[in-house]
Amino acid sequence: MAKTDFEIPKLEHPVKIPAIMEGASSHLSIHPANEQMKTKLGFPEKRVDNWQETAIAKLGELKDKYRSLKIFLDVCVKCGSCADKCHYFLGTGDPNNMPVARQELMRKVYRKNFTIGGKLFGSLARAEDLTEEVLKEWVTYFHQCSQCRRCSVFCPFGIDTAEITMAAREIMDSIGVGHKYSLEIIGKVHDTGNNLGIPKPALTSTLEFLEEDVKETTGADVKFPLDVEGAEVLMVVPSADFFSSPHVDSLVGYAKVFHAAGVSFTFSSHASEFANFGMFVGNYAQMQKIAGRIVQAAHDLKVKRIVVGECGHAWRVAYSFWNTLVGPFDFLDQAHPAPQHICEFTNGLIKRGALKLDKSANDEFTVTFHDSCNVARASRMGDTPGGQFEIPREILKATCNKYVEMPEEVNRERTFCCGGGGGLLTDELMELRVKGAAPKAAALKEMMDEKGVNVMAMICAICKAQFTKVLPYYDIPMETVGGVHQFVSNAIQLGDK
Amino acid sequence: MTALSAAFTVLSYCAAGVFFGGLLFQLWGYATTPSPLKIPVTPHPTTAAGVVKKNIIALATFGSLFKGNRWTWIGGYAFHVILIFVFVRHLRLFINPVPPLLAEIQPVALLGAMLLPLPLIYLWVRRKAVDRYDYISSPADHFALALLLLIGLTGLALKFVAHSDVVRIKEFLLGLVMLSPVEIPAHPVFLCHFSLVLILAIFFPFSKLLHAGGVFFTPTRVQVDNPRESRHINPWGN
Amino acid sequence: MAMVEMAGKQLDLDEDGYLTNLEQWDKQVADALAKTEGIEMSEAHWEVVNFLRDYYAEFKIAPMIRILTKEIGKKLGKEKGNTKYLYELYPGGPAKQACKIAGLPKPTGCV
Repeated sequence: MAKTDFEIPKLEHPVKIPAIMEGASSHLSIHPANEQMKTKLGFPEKRVDNWQETAIAKLGELKDKYRSLKIFLDVCVKCGSCADKCHYFLGTGDPNNMPVARQELMRKVYRKNFTIGGKLFGSLARAEDLTEEVLKEWVTYFHQCSQCRRCSVFCPFGIDTAEITMAAREIMDSIGVGHKYSLEIIGKVHDTGNNLGIPKPALTSTLEFLEEDVKETTGADVKFPLDVEGAEVLMVVPSADFFSSPHVDSLVGYAKVFHAAGVSFTFSSHASEFANFGMFVGNYAQMQKIAGRIVQAAHDLKVKRIVVGECGHAWRVAYSFWNTLVGPFDFLDQAHPAPQHICEFTNGLIKRGALKLDKSANDEFTVTFHDSCNVARASRMGDTPGGQFEIPREILKATCNKYVEMPEEVNRERTFCCGGGGGLLTDELMELRVKGAAPKAAALKEMMDEKGVNVMAMICAICKAQFTKVLPYYDIPMETVGGVHQFVSNAIQLGDK
Repeated sequence: MTALSAAFTVLSYCAAGVFFGGLLFQLWGYATTPSPLKIPVTPHPTTAAGVVKKNIIALATFGSLFKGNRWTWIGGYAFHVILIFVFVRHLRLFINPVPPLLAEIQPVALLGAMLLPLPLIYLWVRRKAVDRYDYISSPADHFALALLLLIGLTGLALKFVAHSDVVRIKEFLLGLVMLSPVEIPAHPVFLCHFSLVLILAIFFPFSKLLHAGGVFFTPTRVQVDNPRESRHINPWGN
Repeated sequence: MAMVEMAGKQLDLDEDGYLTNLEQWDKQVADALAKTEGIEMSEAHWEVVNFLRDYYAEFKIAPMIRILTKEIGKKLGKEKGNTKYLYELYPGGPAKQACKIAGLPKPTGCV
């Protein structure tokens, strides 16, 4: 277990609501983006002189462009239903991590500048200018929200703090105050096609390595094709799948599924990234530009379908936003949804009996499933509401003999964020990440102790990276973390042995 | 017309103007602000009919709040149900002649309306007693509760303590509605009650009470979850 | 970003302590960087660092962890060709901690 200079929460399931402790996580702040990262994306290189005016003008612009923001700033009745629903509040006890309080950080500035009550009554109406201190609160606490939407589920009006966090980050970027982690990564996508910055020769060599590796272990000639024109499917995965473990095990799983199904596919070096951090910083144009690379690749490679890998927020962007941002997809085969999630693809094959699966290959595992927030609360799979819950579970049940469900209060639409989503998967926020993971880790620990669970499967690159890193703080081994297609990979029987 | 009546008549029309004008202005603002992207909180219906049904159920049950916190739900739900009774109870003062059905249910409406202060006191105590709610509460939140509670208490006083001439009150209200104002009954408790209602009407469109209208426009709840099937167009996108 | 004196040199380090000027790296710098991470460099540690540097020289990126584990397995024996062993060497993670000591940029993204 890693050494820490902070107190690691005791895991308790169900999680206890902490007493509020003002300022408990006020010391956790981000590394600022440097000038080069900002100018590359068209943001001011340093904080502009008239930053207050500029920020207020941007807030005005955004509230007139986003109905969500406009309504959410007005209608909160402060019932407190959301107050104890955020994993970061539960983990830190800092009252500014209560979703309603986080929203208030923007609302107080909104009131002062845009509402009659705020202009007339000032602090009586909790209206405040955007002062240096308020900006500091924004920088701190709008980077302690993972945009997971859990609060929204419990809000009588569906107020989604993620919308407010995105707007806040967009406003901060517009005055030259940005987060290094997200902006550096967005820059890399534009340069190299992926968040990691993997150049094409490295990608080629990585995929060749995997071909050899799979050949050695299975004897099958499973292909990992790159930039193959005329392939049926363009496969777009989070670039962490080309780099990290356990991510790569799912990547191998996808390739095996295509191999077994006899469907030709290709990766693209131009669009070697499914993730879209444009969403995390609330920037429509960046989100569109990043998504545009994938459509460009689909055209260039003349594919008929786009299938995407295990990545939570990117599935939200793809499922909910692509059609608006970079659609229509009328150039693709209309017999299949565009885009299609790899879980939809695999489960379709399983249901048709097109895959030979040997469940006993996973007998060493007792598996549970972690619903990733953006998949659970911001997307769908299949034709019916809730398909995003059922389809991955059906795959796990078809590939593993021992499957156990997580407790209801942390499952499906009530799932807790892993603690690293929304552009917070960065080392300077490690304390926040560890504390924010506590509610889900507590449930997992309980499943491990009570039900003998030894792996938690998931379909999100961020969740995988975050959990492998933070679970060891709770004495849960990193090997507990797995991808859904990792279990498909284990169980799948490839014909040509 | 006495100066008092003249003043209240003018104030009434002003308050009504602010209430309806403000409400229309705000809701018009919501309706005409674009929703660039599909953002329903899922799982969510994939058809318009499904969305309507889901929202009717949500409106009738406050289901999200129920999931979120049962203790707050009990108070909030009771309060809103009692508001319906209060509405029914007051409707008879604005309609002449009173339809038989409306007349018949008055005793029940009275019974319900009488309870108005209870959930308000309960919610107010909760707001102070739980550290999280106390932290998020502002003067405006306390003001809204105080205003509603005072309106309820003065209303009850009119019925049970300082009995007023309901026929004259009805004449006054109908006069306002029919745009032919008459003298206001100079009953001190009624004047209090009525003044507080005017304040509420002015406060409403510019406060959190706007949730009553905003809830019908929330994209996370009223959009249909069909982004792949039907292309959503962003009016300011390209 | 900051200038830090280490191993008798002025080093440009980023906020997370990674070299921003890869030219400044040498073995003494690696030893010094390892010390800041609480690591005493052994033969096995050097195997990892050397492979990372060779790979980076060719591909301008750190290798996939799986490639690294396989390589270490080849060099140090099969039982050491796994992530667990790499984490024993570099508790902060082979990708991040070993890259820092090898003078490579910090891997970015969902890693």
